[in-house]
Amino acid sequence: MTRESLLARTLVELADTLVDDFDVVDILTLLADRCVEVLEVEAAGIMLAGPDGQLRVMASSSEAMRVLEVFEIQAQEGPCLDAHRTGQAIVNQDLDSTNGRWPRFAAEALAAGFRSAHAVPMRLRGSVIGALNLFRTGTGEMGPADIEVAQALADVATIAVLQHRAALEAQVVNQQLTHALNSRVTLEQAKGMVAERLDLDMQQSFATLRNHARHHNLRLSDVAQSVIDGSLAPSELEALPGAAKG
Amino acid sequence: MTAGGQERRLAILGRLLGQEAGFTTERLCQVCADVTGATGAGIMLMAGDIPRGSVCTTDTVSDVIEQLQYDLGEGPCVDAYNQDRPVFEPDLANPATPRWLAFTGPAVDAGARAVFGFPLQVGAVRLGALNLYNDRAGPLTGDQQTDALVMADVAAQAILLLQAEAPPEAVAVELETNANFQYVVHQATGMVAAQLEVTVSQALIRLRGHAFGNNRSLTDVARDVVERRLRFDGDSEKAQAS
Repeated sequence: MTRESLLARTLVELADTLVDDFDVVDILTLLADRCVEVLEVEAAGIMLAGPDGQLRVMASSSEAMRVLEVFEIQAQEGPCLDAHRTGQAIVNQDLDSTNGRWPRFAAEALAAGFRSAHAVPMRLRGSVIGALNLFRTGTGEMGPADIEVAQALADVATIAVLQHRAALEAQVVNQQLTHALNSRVTLEQAKGMVAERLDLDMQQSFATLRNHARHHNLRLSDVAQSVIDGSLAPSELEALPGAAKG
Repeated sequence: MTAGGQERRLAILGRLLGQEAGFTTERLCQVCADVTGATGAGIMLMAGDIPRGSVCTTDTVSDVIEQLQYDLGEGPCVDAYNQDRPVFEPDLANPATPRWLAFTGPAVDAGARAVFGFPLQVGAVRLGALNLYNDRAGPLTGDQQTDALVMADVAAQAILLLQAEAPPEAVAVELETNANFQYVVHQATGMVAAQLEVTVSQALIRLRGHAFGNNRSLTDVARDVVERRLRFDGDSEKAQAS
């Protein structure tokens, strides 16, 4: 298969997986595997910054411990960290001659059998969320076309991650909305119960429930729930001055 | 899609999104109707497969459409949400396949001739459905369908954006402003539960049963209970005295 058709197939595959309930690690692993095929590199990995700003390995084309360690060490130093910090691609780093720049990283990578390292940033507008990391066992250079393809694949990975984060956030907000609506239903039902038992109008009933919550340092929603499930009888609520007139 | 239609849609969306300070759900509903060329629109929230209430409606007919679906638990929004796909009924008065047996008659009487439902969702998160109606029968064009899907997307995002700002355990004020979350039904449920000394679930069933048996809307029955014109414990003396 030509590189163009491999790339096209990869993009179609990714578009297919970016549906409702996708697993972000699956997609990033697929992407790392495709990088190895399309870019003719020996290993590819994707590192993302966590909430603390530290880079973590999210996906790797290889599960070999030595390879994973080469990714992991870049939380401290290496091309990934630099690409993440600067937002610039760092390519064609000959590991024999990068001892000065990244001594620990270069030693680990050479020991794992790699000769050159490359990292392209995963960025969206102003922010850089991580980097795509590539390793070769030979010394051949990556040309501008290779780098462009690597950046395109990194951009796809970025979209997958951001879409996943947005979906998670949407889920949280929707759960809050449902919960808020449920609490409100419980409160209205409790208002009805108290209004009926104590012969109050809805406003007085609400004031009575709120007053009870304040005096006993309870949440209004908990007081309402206790009224609904029968553990708090409306007659146990303190009468408000003037409320009985309603 | 025609270039003019696309431009018009973008212009309307720009107007909607550009006026953040003046953004209201009322405007959102109106834009949904304007962009799709429908007579009217309504946005219904659903959770746990049941309608939770209406966020906004453009007119009295879409009000009735939302209310009927809330009362009866059937209609285009309920189906769009439950089936997770758009639902089209281009000829409500003479449907090819009769469905929504309780919903259809009153909706046609109110003036709806064609109704459409589009799920509101962001990723896998389902919020409810956008309801469109026309006062004459006929299908939506391809462009209108596309526009409706875009508006359903915009509406879902807008609702989440508004709710994201709300304090914990509260519904966002902006979401409640034009909404009808049927609080009177829940108040009446509490009162009936107290009258009959049953659970709130049982009380709601009694309310629904009474509404159905007397051919009245659930909300009307609930209002009578809250305003103490109707009791469920047979204590009619007390009801008349109030």
